[in-house]
Amino acid sequence: MLELKDLHAVVEGEGIEILKGVNLTVSKGEIHAIMGPNGSGKSTLAKVVAGHPEYEVTKGDILYNGESILELDPDERAHAGIFLAFQYPVEVPGVTNTTLLRESYNTIAASRGREELDPLEFDDYIREKLDLVEMNPEFLERSVNAGFSGGEKKRNEIFQMAVLKPALSLLDETDSGLDIDALRVVSAGINKLHGENDTVVLITHYQRLLNYIIPDYVHVMIGGKIVKTGGKELAFELEEKGYDWLESLATVNGEAK
Amino acid sequence: MEHPTRIEPSILHELSMSVPDSKDSLWPDIKKDGRMVLESNDLPNKKIEEWRFINLKPISRTDFVHIDESGVLPATDIEKYFLPESDRSRLVFINGKFQESYSSIGGLGKGVTVGNLANFSNDGIVKNYLNKLLNYENDVFTAFNNLMFEDGAFIHLEKNAKAEAPIQILNLYTDAAKPYIATPRMLVVAEEDSDVTIIEEHIGLADNRYLTIPVCEVKVKQRAHIHHVRIQRDSTDAFHLSRPITYVGKNSEYHSYTITLGAKISRNEPRVIQEDEEVDFTLDGLVLIDGDQVADTHSVMDHRFSYAESHQLHKVVVNGHAHSIFNGKIFVRRDAQKIDSFQENRNLLLSKDGLVNTKPQLEIFADDVLCSHGATIGQLDPEEVFYLQSRGMTEEKAKEVLTYAFALETIENVKVDSVHKLLIEEVYRYTKANSMPKVHA
Repeated sequence: MLELKDLHAVVEGEGIEILKGVNLTVSKGEIHAIMGPNGSGKSTLAKVVAGHPEYEVTKGDILYNGESILELDPDERAHAGIFLAFQYPVEVPGVTNTTLLRESYNTIAASRGREELDPLEFDDYIREKLDLVEMNPEFLERSVNAGFSGGEKKRNEIFQMAVLKPALSLLDETDSGLDIDALRVVSAGINKLHGENDTVVLITHYQRLLNYIIPDYVHVMIGGKIVKTGGKELAFELEEKGYDWLESLATVNGEAK
Repeated sequence: MEHPTRIEPSILHELSMSVPDSKDSLWPDIKKDGRMVLESNDLPNKKIEEWRFINLKPISRTDFVHIDESGVLPATDIEKYFLPESDRSRLVFINGKFQESYSSIGGLGKGVTVGNLANFSNDGIVKNYLNKLLNYENDVFTAFNNLMFEDGAFIHLEKNAKAEAPIQILNLYTDAAKPYIATPRMLVVAEEDSDVTIIEEHIGLADNRYLTIPVCEVKVKQRAHIHHVRIQRDSTDAFHLSRPITYVGKNSEYHSYTITLGAKISRNEPRVIQEDEEVDFTLDGLVLIDGDQVADTHSVMDHRFSYAESHQLHKVVVNGHAHSIFNGKIFVRRDAQKIDSFQENRNLLLSKDGLVNTKPQLEIFADDVLCSHGATIGQLDPEEVFYLQSRGMTEEKAKEVLTYAFALETIENVKVDSVHKLLIEEVYRYTKANSMPKVHA
């Protein structure tokens, strides 16, 4: 359902190349984990797939359900069923969670052929989803992420994922900044949400998230490329040995391969 | 402003020459006062620090005529501006002249007097306070108002009186053959333990040029509360120069919210002066401008006694070639301790050609005070826009939502429902009209 082909991307206007030829194939219903040291390009990869305007794709392609989405705006990608859980969710004072979610849900529903919900129906609908991430209903009437703790923001992202029912979820370091209880709640939520028809790509620095969410594949990204792919046991190997032993796969004589 | 060099001839002075001698007027002393200031002062110009960012030439170069010679057209369909909450607590002025037939003042309850100043010229309260509260050093605009006004809004609350409904002061400006000058006047005196909400509006009914110089004097005595909302929706070719001044007494509260939407050039100079300890006042503002509008706010919050809490959030959205100016002076006098003063000017620039000048100005002579102040000028944060887009909103919609959210904060505290709703609609209309078309890099 998602295929990255020799994907190269630079920071818009600066020309610094962050993605240096990423190849990745993700099939429907799978969970993939992308791991790697800081600065390897993991988060950039998620943002580029979601269409962040800060990055420009200079080479390669992103195929989603067999079609290139490079020309689609971020909102059009969201309408197509792509969801990005942000590493640093943005605060939007003045807009309540309910308002944002109803607006999002209905625009996405309209473009995906689902029925739109009126405010009352929507209220019933989102209250069910709150339990999934053990969120207090009062969060609904608070401004999006404004004054939320780091953990609350991450929980809110998963809550949004639950409400919007994306086909492809890119979770960018959703585990960072979570204490162990929150991590358990968030992972349980992700597991419950994950079904046969939707696909999850987890971006994470640490192996610990993978104690709760079992991936079908683990990829290691270093220097803007995926340098190794394996099963879930690769994560344990990384936990034990770190990333150093893989660095040589990314470079030859100090140059990117 | 001491003795500015003569650069612009004062159109106000020229007009004042045609005003007959003030002896027969209802307000001979006030008029004499006004004439004196006009005779010895010119229009301010850019060489004066307080006026350096604003160009008044469009005003001085307009051939204003006396309002009676300007060929004003009648106002029609004005009922739509009446607030439902103020059904029986409303004063209407057209081009500064009182309109008895449109006004309605039966619904205010005991101890509240509301009416046309001209009918209260011998009233003790009016004699005591009218023109006595003004403090705008040699200002030709207040002087011109002094010389010209006949009618005006008078609001008096006796001790313990609570106005049962918000009072709407509706100032309408009509179309005319020639540009004219209006001089609306207001006096509000709230005695001990009284309470009132005032909605002061200025609305241009057409897109003609006029100059309005509203002058407002407010006295808030011990433990009295005033909630004052000021909405400026003048014609886009109009000039609006307002001077509202307020004195706050012991344990009193004065909260004002000024919404600036209209006028080609506006200059608002609110002043709040503390007269005793334990006061709480607000001087918030919201400015939404576009095209070639210029909106200038020069405010003064003068803390003269201990234990004051003051709040000024001035939010501005600038689009097109519009220009916003903010100068917020906060004085804390030497013996005024335990002051908690907050001031923030936040500017959102939606266009490349917009301009913002901002100058928070703190002059603190006491040592035990807490004053926070700040000014920011910024564009919409691309990360916020992307966040909303990733949730399915178009770029246009995301910008609209973020602009709306930015502006909304300042009107949250307006407590009259229909006014709150009206302001939300105005904010919405502005953001809708100004969310920019998508530009691809």
